[in-house]
Amino acid sequence: MTAMKNATRAGLAALAMALATSVAMADTVVLTAYSGIFQENYVKAVVEPFMKANPDITVEFYGMPNSAQMLGTLRAQASAPQIDIAIMDVSVAKAATDEGIFAPMDDTVTKHIADLYPQAKVEGVNAVGVTFDNLVLLYNTDKVKQAPTSWNALWDEQYAKQVSIPAVPDIQGTTFTIITDKMAGGTNYIESVEAGITRLEALAPLVQTWEPRPDVYQPISSGTAAIGIGWNARAQVYADLSDGKLGVVLPQEGSGFQINVIGLIKGGPASDSAKKFIDYALSPEAQAAFTEQMFYAPTNSKAAALISEKAIERTAAGAMDKMIDINWLEVAKIREAITEQWRRRVIPLSR
Amino acid sequence: MSAVPALPRPARQWRDGELAVLLLLPIALINAIGFILPVLNLARYSFNKSRIGGGMEAVFTWENWAGLLSDPFYLELVFNSVWISLAITLTTLVVSYPIALYLHRASGSWRTFLTVLVISPLLTSAVVRTYGWIAILTDDGPVVSAIKAVGLPAPSLMFNIKGVFIGLTEILMPYMILALMAGFGRLDPRVEEAARTLGATPARTFTKVILPLTLPGIALGCLLCFVLAVSSFITPKLMGGGRVFLLATEIYDQAIVTLNWPLASTLSILVLIVFGAALWAYSAVLRRLD
Repeated sequence: MTAMKNATRAGLAALAMALATSVAMADTVVLTAYSGIFQENYVKAVVEPFMKANPDITVEFYGMPNSAQMLGTLRAQASAPQIDIAIMDVSVAKAATDEGIFAPMDDTVTKHIADLYPQAKVEGVNAVGVTFDNLVLLYNTDKVKQAPTSWNALWDEQYAKQVSIPAVPDIQGTTFTIITDKMAGGTNYIESVEAGITRLEALAPLVQTWEPRPDVYQPISSGTAAIGIGWNARAQVYADLSDGKLGVVLPQEGSGFQINVIGLIKGGPASDSAKKFIDYALSPEAQAAFTEQMFYAPTNSKAAALISEKAIERTAAGAMDKMIDINWLEVAKIREAITEQWRRRVIPLSR
Repeated sequence: MSAVPALPRPARQWRDGELAVLLLLPIALINAIGFILPVLNLARYSFNKSRIGGGMEAVFTWENWAGLLSDPFYLELVFNSVWISLAITLTTLVVSYPIALYLHRASGSWRTFLTVLVISPLLTSAVVRTYGWIAILTDDGPVVSAIKAVGLPAPSLMFNIKGVFIGLTEILMPYMILALMAGFGRLDPRVEEAARTLGATPARTFTKVILPLTLPGIALGCLLCFVLAVSSFITPKLMGGGRVFLLATEIYDQAIVTLNWPLASTLSILVLIVFGAALWAYSAVLRRLD
């Protein structure tokens, strides 16, 4: 009996030791960010080079379709986090910060904070900008013969019932409202987007769908729709895959940025290695590599010098003066009011 | 007097009630953990406060419920969801009933073959079938082209309520047919024969004999399809073009896009109330049939 007890004890001790060493050896960092082409390209441009440089750290990419789902998962794990790092939209990150999900972001996490553009550092959010994206005009090159240069092409009667617009509450719709408001003479979108809404009322009858699926890029590439709006980075990647069918334009009136931030989860299992990854993700090299790969504009001001002219041209980096400065935390406060305007005044005109 | 040898003690007898409780316990536990707890959690969330930008504050407020009841948009949403689902259920019933009746009368391998044919759409996900409908119903699709070819004015069948209607009806048909067939048990062919022998016309046989005997199946199929129609959001999302606002699509938007979980929970509880009403109507119909 005693022999058996001893054997059990020895076995348990061995098991405990094995577990302890495996925990110490395999430093696994779990990163959550968007699934699909973002994951594909981010792993190639940033995660793999990082693991090559740090053979003792494994980065596991846990893809989720959108920021809301990431917040939901992080919320559910709040008492025992399994995820170390999240890359998500800045307004969702604000909600996560308010709920105490992110650890503070400062020089102890990354030494690159000082080099980031001011737009990448948002007051009240415990995460910093890792990618900038912007709204662009998309068109099908078979149906729209001459490349449009202005957002006004969407209002062109010849594309009636062929316009594809992801409506609010999607933030592509929100960004578009702010751009339209400025084009229609609005001066302060936080106070009122009345001018923009009135202009959108004129667009409504021409719209084919307010809910393009699986996303806005596929129907325009395939010719189901002729013209629409979408995000630059994804549009650039899909344009390359579309045999020239998908055209992408940053219109002359300018556009607005969408910001993805990177944050450290409070109490995540791999704290030190996670900090190392965040530091790498914000470094000029990683930022430049991801811009070359997927055409998100870099958030580190020192990255631009490392990026090829060809890739820079396909981001908004060359047109910074034309970009509308969108304060997403302020927009979050008026988002519901904008949604209500769309539902009461804009979308009903397209029925 | 010799001692009476002790009889072996009889095995413990289960009383009826005890056995039933014991057998029901596992499923009751699973339901409690997998269904009742989450629903209670949802109910709790519906009294939380939503913060700007998607945060949630665990307090107790009637704000969400008050907002829901006072905003005409949400009342319209409930009204729309209920009438659209009822209309879809009725259409599904009308197109499925003849098929179910034919299947009920068929026999042998022919019946098996047809049943497999009816069930086979369920082997493909509703998302795939919805994309199929999009290809068929778009403005350059075969249906609209055929209507144009005949010289009629082409209706827009996609990205509006018509698309949602057509798509959901087809998707719900297998469920309706199976429910109808399950409820056709009381329909004995000899009763129909008797009616015909006694001189009833086919129409009279249908209205006086077949229809009343199949009412339990109709009630079951309608309940099932109504519940599925109210809760479906993929088809309305894909085929509605953002113009069709229903309870289920709104819950998706509030939960996933605007991150207003308290409001999404409130709407979910509202859907449960609608389901409760449907169940009540169903049992009322069954009581009257008995």
